[in-house]
Amino acid sequence: MSDNAPVSVVVVDDHPAILSGVEAWYAASRRPITVVAAGDSVREAWTEPGSTADVVVLDLQLGEGGPAFGSLRRLVDAGRQVVVYSMRDDEKTALSCLDLGAATYLTKSEGRDHLVEATLAAADERPYMPPALAGALGTNTRADRPQLSLREENVLIEWFQSESKELVAQRLGISVRTVNSYLDRVRIKYANVGRPARTKASLVARAIQDGLVDVDDL
Amino acid sequence: MRLGGYEGNGDGAAEPLDGPRSSERLLNLALERFGVWLRSTVVCLCGALGVVSADVADIPLAVSLLVPALLACGVRLYALRRPRLFPLALLWTLDAAVLVLTGLSQPVLGGDGGNVMVEAVVGISVVAFQYEWATRPVAGAALAASGAVVCVLGDVLSSPGHSPDLIPLVRMFVQVTLSRAAYLIVRALARAADRSAAARAAARREADAAAARRATEREYLATLHDTASATLLMVSQGDGRDWSWLPPRARQDLEALSAVPGFETGSIDLAALLGCVPEGEGKARVQLKTRVDGPLAIPSGPGLAIFNGVREAVTNVARHAGVREAELRAWTEGDGVVVELSDAGRGFDPESVPARRRGISGSIIGRMHAVGGSACVTSHPGTGTRVQWRWHGGARASQAGDGAHMTGVPRPPRAQPQHTAVVRFIRGQLLYGAQLAVLLISLVWQFAISLRRLMVHQDVYRPAWAQTAAFVCLAAVAVTGGAYLLRGRQIPPRVRGWSLGSVLAVSAVCAFTLPPEQSTGPADWAFGVVGWHALFLLADLRVRVYAAFLGAHMGLNATAVFLSGAPTAAESAVMGISTISACGFQLSVGVLMTYLLHGTAPAAGTAAAQEEELRTRERIHEDMQRDHKERYRALTATTVPLLVGLGHGVLSPHDEEVRLRCGVEAARMRRLFAESDAVSDPLLNELRACVEVVEHQGVTVSLAVRGRPGEVPVEVRRELVDPVAVILGRTRSTARVTVVWTPRAVRVSVVSEDCADGRGTEEAAQAHDRATDAKVTVARTTRGGSVWVEADWRRPAASGVDLT
Repeated sequence: MSDNAPVSVVVVDDHPAILSGVEAWYAASRRPITVVAAGDSVREAWTEPGSTADVVVLDLQLGEGGPAFGSLRRLVDAGRQVVVYSMRDDEKTALSCLDLGAATYLTKSEGRDHLVEATLAAADERPYMPPALAGALGTNTRADRPQLSLREENVLIEWFQSESKELVAQRLGISVRTVNSYLDRVRIKYANVGRPARTKASLVARAIQDGLVDVDDL
Repeated sequence: MRLGGYEGNGDGAAEPLDGPRSSERLLNLALERFGVWLRSTVVCLCGALGVVSADVADIPLAVSLLVPALLACGVRLYALRRPRLFPLALLWTLDAAVLVLTGLSQPVLGGDGGNVMVEAVVGISVVAFQYEWATRPVAGAALAASGAVVCVLGDVLSSPGHSPDLIPLVRMFVQVTLSRAAYLIVRALARAADRSAAARAAARREADAAAARRATEREYLATLHDTASATLLMVSQGDGRDWSWLPPRARQDLEALSAVPGFETGSIDLAALLGCVPEGEGKARVQLKTRVDGPLAIPSGPGLAIFNGVREAVTNVARHAGVREAELRAWTEGDGVVVELSDAGRGFDPESVPARRRGISGSIIGRMHAVGGSACVTSHPGTGTRVQWRWHGGARASQAGDGAHMTGVPRPPRAQPQHTAVVRFIRGQLLYGAQLAVLLISLVWQFAISLRRLMVHQDVYRPAWAQTAAFVCLAAVAVTGGAYLLRGRQIPPRVRGWSLGSVLAVSAVCAFTLPPEQSTGPADWAFGVVGWHALFLLADLRVRVYAAFLGAHMGLNATAVFLSGAPTAAESAVMGISTISACGFQLSVGVLMTYLLHGTAPAAGTAAAQEEELRTRERIHEDMQRDHKERYRALTATTVPLLVGLGHGVLSPHDEEVRLRCGVEAARMRRLFAESDAVSDPLLNELRACVEVVEHQGVTVSLAVRGRPGEVPVEVRRELVDPVAVILGRTRSTARVTVVWTPRAVRVSVVSEDCADGRGTEEAAQAHDRATDAKVTVARTTRGGSVWVEADWRRPAASGVDLT
């Protein structure tokens, strides 16, 4: 997808206020983003016109049931780019969604600052790392986690703490660009160890193609 | 026999806490009394009997030998009451002199009576010496050796030509060894009792100390909450209201804080305080020329005393000196501080100030004395006035503080049940030790001394088999009792009844199958030994029961003797001496045991309880001192100057900077209050406490946590949270607080999007760093109006990787 092509999105969220907020943010985007379908059920993503949308924005908590991990898995298996957009601000959920193959994981408090960018990145199959997810990855101690360098871990944590890449760059004495490349590299490392899925494969392939990571790193 | 009362306990309780503990110490004391009284009584009684049985012609010489011996005993008895009056060497010489004098009387008295008398006196004395000198075994052994020499010399002198009899010497050696062994057994158990009591006491002490700490902590926090915290919170929350209530309130708060014990241990910058001295208003205004070489860190107690004194002295200048300016100077001198206020006013004669005027004597001089410093006023009419305050750091002041503290330390709860439990335990141990010791004596005596006599005199008994059977029966009693004792069990009443019956039967059999003239003599193996068997059987009962047994035992023997005709006076004297030396001695041991169980054990329990209370109070005192220092260190450096400034109008609540400082201090105090909450994640709890304060003031704070929470020591938490309290306290609208737990580190961060600048942010974020070891590193980044401060603590390597 070219860098200025319009992006179509289907938003699955059961809260009308959230839906209108999301639409307003997308409307303000410099690159056109169209919400082609929106609703309180994941059915919207499987039926016309939502079934052809470039990106699915999925609220993990729909109705009274538990987190919609099953829906997420099925969407990823169908080759969809899913941005998980959740009330839950805990690292366990974030890591699970990443494992299942979500493009990224956003908490609702991060929506205003990060949803547009995350959606565009998902449409382009580029990595995107919001602060809450960075915090989860930076403190991940599970045995199957990818090996991160000390610098990568530090950047993750400081990005989580400050929510400002400028502050991180200033503290570490590096450029914002470098901060971004550290964050992207971590995301690729995670994609590489994650569940095999088309989205992951394309993420890694694109990263290698962009020179973001070396094949030897992975 | 009287074994003395509790006179010694006074000294005992005042002994230093190290060295032998209560049971052992009181045991030694009781045994010393026992030894001296026993020996003195025996010398007195046997001497009298010896003199009675002697020829009339020998009496003056014998008396001239025995009376000095008695006098020596008297001196020794007196020395018991005044333990440190006589040197030990003198006492030892007196003891040896008694032996020598008694030994010399043997050839003078002559005959059987003399021999038996001296043998009895020396025999019992050497045993008594082992108790009298229990804590100095070498002295005791030397006296025993000299006793043996005296015996040999006496034998040689009284019957020249005869080679000295070895058997009494061997017997004496056995007895001395047994005495020492008995002492060691009882002492070992007394020590075990002390150790065990000390171990239990130590556990209790921990609990008591912890309880006392919690109680003072609560009291302190309550005071802080009701006073400084409330005031600072109100100041931080608003502008544009009537603040007239504030100065008196702030001064009251300071006084309330000063009243909390330990306040004076915190350090304060005197230079900052002196900058707050009010100059007065209108006509009463005095222009102060302040020259202070700051900072002057001194404890807050003296610091506030100087401050208040200077304030009073400045008003005095306005009122009395007739000038409108004064000079205030302060400098360090050695490890102390000198503050001087001088004016060029009209001066006065300090001598002529009426006593009822309390300005100088109370506010200036008295106040300084109370905190361990000094103040003096130098003035003459027409030459101005100079007031000087001096405070010297270190020993003196802290002593003054200590003294004041000791009275304020909460007393640990005195628990009577614990006390009686200790007494019961000590009594049990002493009883067990005494029983083991007596059992040992019984067995050794029976199989060493009695068995030889039985073998040698087989031809004397009528019939011999009865005596042999009695011997076996007695041995069976000892073995049965021993089997119970060695397994640590009490002898059951039935067994005890049967055993006692058997012992009495042995006594009767032996008395009636022995020729009466041999009674108590060398052939009478049983007379001296059955008492020991009865003693270990009856050890736990009152001594009356044992006395009754001995009475029955002596009655049986007397009956056997008298049935075959009354003995002569000389024979009676010899038998009397033998009886005293055997049964009398045993009875005295019975009395001693009763005294140990019913006198020494309770006294030892009481002494142990007193020692315990003292230790506990010392411990609580130490803990509280440490806690207080810890607490006030931060507080006095920050809150006290604020309150002083607000209290004396130097800092205005209309000033935004002042309000922000109050906000920071209020947040810090909330953190302090949260410190004692029982929650699973105290770090987060303390952060929330700070966040709540600023949210109350309309600041939006987002708080996010990542990673698995773990243990963080309280002093580290203080340093981790303090930068957050400082930054949040100065934030106007939005901030983000995060906690990140990684296996290697705990990272607490705060980002404020619009932090009010001021000396606060940078300086206060570092304030705690200076106070303790820099275990926590603080990093600070500013960009535009944003301030990002992160406190980072490297965790010890113990926390592992989460494998779940």
